[in-house]
Amino acid sequence: MSSLANLRLPTRRYALGAGFALEGLKYFKYWVLAALVLSFAVPLVISQYSDVALSAWYYTANVGKWFTAFVGGGFVFTLVPNMIAAGLTRRELAVSMGVFGVLWSLVLGAVAFAGILGERAYYDALGWSQGIDASDAIAPIGSLGDTIAFASYYPLLYLVYFAAGTVIGIASYRWEGAGWLLLVPIIPVVFSLDNGLYDTEPVGPGWAGFLGLFMDGWARGVVIATIVAVTAVLAAAAYRILIDVPLRSKKA
Amino acid sequence: MSFTVNLRNVTLKYGAEAALADVDLDLEAGKIYGLLGRNGAGKTSLLSLLAAFRRPTSGEVRVGGEPVWENAPIVSRVALIREGGDFDDSETVKAVIETGQIRPSFDTDYAYKLADKFEVPLKKRVSALSRGKRSVLAAVCGLAARAELTMFDEVHLGMDAPTRDAFYKELLAEYMERPHTVVLSTHLIDEVANYLEEVIIVDRGRILRHADIEAFQGMGATLTGPADAVDALGLAALAEQRLGGTKSITVADALDKSVRERAAAAGIEIGPVGLQDLFIHLTDPNRNGA
Repeated sequence: MSSLANLRLPTRRYALGAGFALEGLKYFKYWVLAALVLSFAVPLVISQYSDVALSAWYYTANVGKWFTAFVGGGFVFTLVPNMIAAGLTRRELAVSMGVFGVLWSLVLGAVAFAGILGERAYYDALGWSQGIDASDAIAPIGSLGDTIAFASYYPLLYLVYFAAGTVIGIASYRWEGAGWLLLVPIIPVVFSLDNGLYDTEPVGPGWAGFLGLFMDGWARGVVIATIVAVTAVLAAAAYRILIDVPLRSKKA
Repeated sequence: MSFTVNLRNVTLKYGAEAALADVDLDLEAGKIYGLLGRNGAGKTSLLSLLAAFRRPTSGEVRVGGEPVWENAPIVSRVALIREGGDFDDSETVKAVIETGQIRPSFDTDYAYKLADKFEVPLKKRVSALSRGKRSVLAAVCGLAARAELTMFDEVHLGMDAPTRDAFYKELLAEYMERPHTVVLSTHLIDEVANYLEEVIIVDRGRILRHADIEAFQGMGATLTGPADAVDALGLAALAEQRLGGTKSITVADALDKSVRERAAAAGIEIGPVGLQDLFIHLTDPNRNGA
């Protein structure tokens, strides 16, 4: 990581977190670029054969949530042995992962936010309808204000997915062969809250949103507060699992 | 400043099995230690505790006079290099070296110099390196860490003999330039014996012996002379070699005056015992009273 030169001990945890985010974005920049190009090109192709009524960016932004979960989990799984062996404490790594998660979610959230507004202008220019798949019916996102409100939750959603991925990643490192089972309680909670926030069908396994049945009628503010609380619980769980994780023995 | 090491009543269990049991150990700062032990004796477990890779089940581990666990100012100056290194295989050699900069003391220029000297290509991915080159990369990162306590755990595995020799020489040169505490865990005992100041033998989760190298060498003797004369001494040999009428035996116990006089009279030469032979004897599972 070229961004690591001249780190100072008291602040290296923050610099490392920012470095992880920067390196992650650099590593995946072509993926993001490809998603951007596809999201704007595919509707153009579809328009040659039928009316465009669905937001392509909506799907891209949703896939970004799963991608973010994989980034959180994959990075922590790889970083635990590498960073501890390089002289970092677990507490420092936990702080770094926190900084990384916040920055990653903000940047990707900003990209998702800009993308959906850009797509709105693009669709308006070509006379298309920017709709979403809302409970078996296609519904337009709405006015500019509605679109901004719709997109403004992405950073928070990316953060909760990042936290979920991080818990599963560190658990998989700690409990080899069994840690991934934390998927079972975590996915339905996060996916259902995502579902509940938009009252739509996010991209992913629909069955995992079964907890949404219990959220019918929840005010948006309550759902958001619950997402914030779940993010905090997941971050605390990741910290607890990480803080005394032993490094695995090397295998021949 | 180099680090001291102090372990008090340290036990490390994996499940119900104790890898280390009630270990007490003190290492002075600024020396090169050899850590010897049979497979599964507890060497790697011991080193893992010193580097805070693991937390002891009970007991206290202090490095540089302070508890090592989650102590950033200490662990940032402790380097444990395990066989094959702890790298992200998808990264390039250059990226792995740059990761070392997490340590404030890491000497990047020195790392590049060593990579060039040992012919480790910077642009190659770790996954594409041979086992030997991967070991060299691990050693390079360990040396360039410029840590106050540097531990190499079987890091030589995969290196060919000239590379191992160059590594030991580089280690010694770095040590002479910047005295610090070094622990070498290895099975190639005779190969490193000349570099060691003290030796720790771990056996079945306990410290079997800890003494300076001269003390170990004085524990036994090698007797070389006419085969009949050597046999006539009636000593219990740890190891023996025969070439024509000449026989060489290694004994584990110090020779008393009368044996020395009889040996000298019979034209038998007495020399120090090889550390490896002594180690084999001391860790023999059939040996009593270790």
